[in-house]
Amino acid sequence: MSYSRRPDFDLPTAEEAERSRRTMLWLAPAIMLQQASRLMDSGQSLGSQIFDVATWMVLTLAILWVLAGWPVRWLSERDQLFLNDEGQQAMRGQSMRWGLIATSLIGCALMIAQIWVAIDSKTAINALVSGGIVVAALRLAWLNREDPADDE
Amino acid sequence: MNDRLGNRLKERRTELGLTQAELGDICLVTRKTINTVENGVFVPSTILALRLAEALNEPVERLFWLDR
Repeated sequence: MSYSRRPDFDLPTAEEAERSRRTMLWLAPAIMLQQASRLMDSGQSLGSQIFDVATWMVLTLAILWVLAGWPVRWLSERDQLFLNDEGQQAMRGQSMRWGLIATSLIGCALMIAQIWVAIDSKTAINALVSGGIVVAALRLAWLNREDPADDE
Repeated sequence: MNDRLGNRLKERRTELGLTQAELGDICLVTRKTINTVENGVFVPSTILALRLAEALNEPVERLFWLDR
């Protein structure tokens, strides 16, 4: 019996991957904020706290994975070129810059806030990482937004 | 230096009856990138500029110029 490729199990096309990236980036902040709110809830058992931290880390890495543009590596060379074209690279660079700026500003805000309010390290890390990623993801989603073609 | 990159990409593309998506397909970039280059939002690399010129069968200096 020879190997045959399942016709209904094709890899996504570049267009499908582009469409899902455009949609999913808008969801990233909602997921991050939901995870952050659970992470701040200190009234949970140790097991559920560990689970929440692990989930938050996985989500954070997954969003970073998308922001850095690595998932396109397993697509064909043509699709890689298409999904990682220089316009996309420029947009990704700009959103990363926004993320860095947001992280720096949140860091400054936390430094000032801790004069009056005690902030534990878990909260600070969460605010810094989530804040930076949320801003970067929103910026990338905005730059990636669907706009009408001039010729349509 | 406040040089801006002017272009007649849209004019030439329309002459050839190509859509932004079709031109993007030829040059292996997204329609969004073609759109942003045409509108002057994004400055393409030399490689992309040459690819566009080749696809539109036009010398690159007739497609792009510096607006001063």
